[in-house]
Amino acid sequence: MSFGDFIQTNLTQFWELTGFANAQFGNFVMLAVGLFFIWLAIKKNFEPMLLVPIGFGILIGNIPFDSTAGLEIGIYEEGSVLNILYNGVAAGWYPPLIFLGIGAMTDFSALIANPKLMLIGAAAQFGIFGAYMVALAIGFAPDQAGAIAIIGGADGPTAIFLSSKLAPNLMGAIAVSAYSYMALVPVIQPPLMRLFTTKKERLIKMKPARAVSQNEKIIFPIVGMLLTCFVVPSGIPLLGMLFFGNLLRECGVTTRLAKTASNALTDIVTILLGMTVGASTQASQFLTPQTIFIFFLGFMAFVIASSSGVLFVKLFNLFLSKDKKINPLIGNAGVSAVPMSARISNNLGLEYDPSNYLLMHAMGPNVAGVIGSAVAAGVLLGFLA
Amino acid sequence: MSTMKRIISGLTLGVCALALSCGASAQGRSSLKINEVMVANENSVVDEYGNRNAWIELFNLNFAPMEISAVYLTNDSLQPRKYPVPLGDVNTEIPARQHVVFFADGEPNKGTFHTSFTLTPGQDNWIGVYDADGITLIDEVLIPASLEPDQTWARTSDGTGEWALRTGDDSAYITPGGANVIKDTNKKIEMFAERDENGFGMTIMAMCVVFSALLLLCLSFYGIGKIGAGISKLNKMRAHGVTRDEAAEHHVTHDSGEEIAAITMALYEHLNAHDTESTILTINKVKRAYSPWSSKIYGLREVPEHRRK
Repeated sequence: MSFGDFIQTNLTQFWELTGFANAQFGNFVMLAVGLFFIWLAIKKNFEPMLLVPIGFGILIGNIPFDSTAGLEIGIYEEGSVLNILYNGVAAGWYPPLIFLGIGAMTDFSALIANPKLMLIGAAAQFGIFGAYMVALAIGFAPDQAGAIAIIGGADGPTAIFLSSKLAPNLMGAIAVSAYSYMALVPVIQPPLMRLFTTKKERLIKMKPARAVSQNEKIIFPIVGMLLTCFVVPSGIPLLGMLFFGNLLRECGVTTRLAKTASNALTDIVTILLGMTVGASTQASQFLTPQTIFIFFLGFMAFVIASSSGVLFVKLFNLFLSKDKKINPLIGNAGVSAVPMSARISNNLGLEYDPSNYLLMHAMGPNVAGVIGSAVAAGVLLGFLA
Repeated sequence: MSTMKRIISGLTLGVCALALSCGASAQGRSSLKINEVMVANENSVVDEYGNRNAWIELFNLNFAPMEISAVYLTNDSLQPRKYPVPLGDVNTEIPARQHVVFFADGEPNKGTFHTSFTLTPGQDNWIGVYDADGITLIDEVLIPASLEPDQTWARTSDGTGEWALRTGDDSAYITPGGANVIKDTNKKIEMFAERDENGFGMTIMAMCVVFSALLLLCLSFYGIGKIGAGISKLNKMRAHGVTRDEAAEHHVTHDSGEEIAAITMALYEHLNAHDTESTILTINKVKRAYSPWSSKIYGLREVPEHRRK
């Protein structure tokens, strides 16, 4: 072999390893999706903490390469760096860590002060099971239907946790769908809230919540964990960590731990979770007809969840005295997109009455939604795993 | 006070130790189960030397790997330490929910999975598994004498369930090193697919559970809120030296938070209690030290300082 041939052979082999030689149409579609997510996050400020890592992860995961070359670079290649980072998603240990952070960040006072708001969080879980029924009708198996339906809980970590257990092959699409719709909460929910409420209902002013003592705040995570986990032991990873994080926050003697859980730890896990979920959407695995169904079902689950929260409040109001009526605009917050959906309740309330601040009231069903979706995930896991 | 603290520390340590020991036993070798036994092996599995011998299958009931070295296998309850599973063999770690087969050939020098005792066809054979202390019996089984060649005495379900005879036919298959019940489908999912085609059943059951869980929480916190309010009221009465009856007689309604806030703001304005500002504006240069993680500056020793006398 002449020196020229040697150079040519090696350059040809190198060319075959490049992204240009291995690119397929699907890769470009996914790269466009990734860029769209990044644009949404930066320009429209839609959940940037989630959409930037996911969007960039999609770019990383869709760089074409020769998967038969054994370079150990792909997220699905055992031993690759991305595969090691992806283990937190695949084995389901990132979501409980995120829940620890959520617990350490969340003030459950609104819920403790007005416990009946918990029921709104429960009602919004109808979205999950509505989507479950439609998924079955489309032809998904019960375990796959359960994994897809959890998108209706509007809780990314829960969706990842459940899909990693019930339908690992659909996890990428489910996670991206869940996070996408969470980012689109400000677009999806207000029209539904307007549709299902009258002007008079939107003007309902709720009484300010009572002050909650420190003791109650400390008792809440302990009793909450014991009660919910006794009912649904399969929810222990999520509920246990959520309430543990909240105890760290409220007990007053573990400030450092609470700060770490709510800041550094959550940030680290969010980065890893978002990036690896994004990278798991390789075109070859992601661009299937099933993904379209999953996005459709996810959208439907979100719509049902938001609507059922609002409608449940209206139903609930029939049994409440005049001075205790609940503004149905907080019903949408029963989905657990914290605190985005509570903020939407507040903004819409202010739109109709500039003195009607609903944020604190909406935080009640909002955090109840987190608990409710974790319980629903535990139920699905218990029934179908 | 220090004695009290010591007592509390001692109690805490004691409780922790108890919890740890309970936890250890719960996660320990108690989940090692005798799963299937063949006494007379004429046509069943052969060992690595090509011989057919009686075999004992153990099953790890845990959902985590279990190390069984130093566990004792025996066929005599008076000699519980008859065959210690050797140390130092990586194969003695049984993966989660998996099986391992020991050949009861009386030739322990052949390898880890060859016991020092044999089983005798035509008579009852007792087999026991003891923990590393040689005292704690982990599991035992009495194999009936009626067992014929190539038949096994096995659990109806891996690690649990009753013992039953397996003849080797299609309904009672023999599975050395394999699951006693071969699951080719997920029964739960099959049941849901068959009985709950449209998902109504799941929806009703799951929503009932979700509502029950949150309703329980809701009721608990109504109760806790009431108790908390009662306690704080009692504390207030104690602080003011008022009895319950007196408090009931002179029932005073408290001002709401808004009223208190309004009064406070009015007093604040009235007393003109504004802070006195120094009106001095100080501008400091913000120092941004250069500290990239790879900076070699931080890896170097400091230059020795020359001191002049």
